[in-house]
Amino acid sequence: MSAAAPAATDPVEPLDVDLVKRSQAGDTRAFDLLVTRYRSRIYAMTYHLIQNETEAWDLAQEAFIKAWRALPNFKLDAAFYTWLYRIAHNVTYDWLRKKKIQGDGEFDDERTEHRAMPGSRTAPQGFDAPDRAMKRQELGSRIHEAIARLTPDHRQAIVLREIEGLSYEEIAEMMKCSLGTVMSRLFYARKKLQEMLKDTYENPV
Amino acid sequence: MKTPSDENHDLIRWLDGEMTADERRAFEATLQNDPELAAEAESMRQLSESLKTHLPAEMPVPHADFFNSQIQVRIAQMELDDAREREKAAESTAGWLSWLRMPWLVGAAAAAFAIAGLVWTQNSSSGTSTIASTYTPNPSVHAQVFHSADAQATVLMLDGLEPVPAEKKIVGFRVHRAESDAEVATTTLFDENGSVLAVVALNAKGQPQVLK
Repeated sequence: MSAAAPAATDPVEPLDVDLVKRSQAGDTRAFDLLVTRYRSRIYAMTYHLIQNETEAWDLAQEAFIKAWRALPNFKLDAAFYTWLYRIAHNVTYDWLRKKKIQGDGEFDDERTEHRAMPGSRTAPQGFDAPDRAMKRQELGSRIHEAIARLTPDHRQAIVLREIEGLSYEEIAEMMKCSLGTVMSRLFYARKKLQEMLKDTYENPV
Repeated sequence: MKTPSDENHDLIRWLDGEMTADERRAFEATLQNDPELAAEAESMRQLSESLKTHLPAEMPVPHADFFNSQIQVRIAQMELDDAREREKAAESTAGWLSWLRMPWLVGAAAAAFAIAGLVWTQNSSSGTSTIASTYTPNPSVHAQVFHSADAQATVLMLDGLEPVPAEKKIVGFRVHRAESDAEVATTTLFDENGSVLAVVALNAKGQPQVLK
């Protein structure tokens, strides 16, 4: 997973592998540190796929609980975040399947806007002039709305590729489909987004 | 000849950097000769940039401390539930074993060895059973059967059994391990050498019954 596995690099911070081993031995405080370390990324993923703050919060929590239950079987043969991300994706995918959310153009009233965390790789750099900042915020809102209108399969493909930076092979494995299907989903998802955001690009920020 | 689907796939593979160097050079040459495709590619590239900018990979979790504490509470609850389950399972096993160590079992086992065979007959009309004959491997042991229809009871009396010396230690089975077979609802008890001591099942009243 190319964009994944942001393991601790600070020499003072305990390594993932050490925290995982302590967690496997039943140390819940070590697991709490892993939760703190990865909750923002897991929550971002569930939020982008669900587009609902409350549900995304619950699903992110469910992912961590499932991870705790599955920890005894984790052989440390992959990065902890990669493993955790798969669990979170499966939890969210199952939820989506149950809900059968369709991209029928209806927006969710409970949906709320978020801003990027300061210092995250996607946070805008520098300061914008007020009118420019407003336009940027408007574009962000429109993109969120457009993403919410995609079908779950198209939304997942876009999130896995554009946000998580997964390769086509990794997306195919995660979504349990062929490479050709991944490419088709990415192509048509982008075409739909282009269509929905057409006027935005005709009057760029 | 490439199908429209192949062309679409080429476009996004180029966009996502999934092409080999040769494929990329060939596709970029195509773009130079196809302004429509080039415009489409540029539009998708802009879209991709916007998505990366406006869909953050990390988002602050609302009520983050509560998020963590809730996970800890749920883990603690699960651990408690698991411990209760384990305790219940242990009690269940201990129940079986304590039953096997009950003093009356020793007597019952002795009687079983003394009277190796009982021939039962069943009266299908009344639904009652009677003991038709008995057999004792030890000829000095004599078995008598008394049946009372009023009391709905049968008493077996064994005469000639050797008295058990007071200093003799009477112990039950020394069960080393037990294996349960859910399919046939039996539990097999083994001694420390792995030999089968007994096969036990519950009867319709939920009481243990030695099958072997």
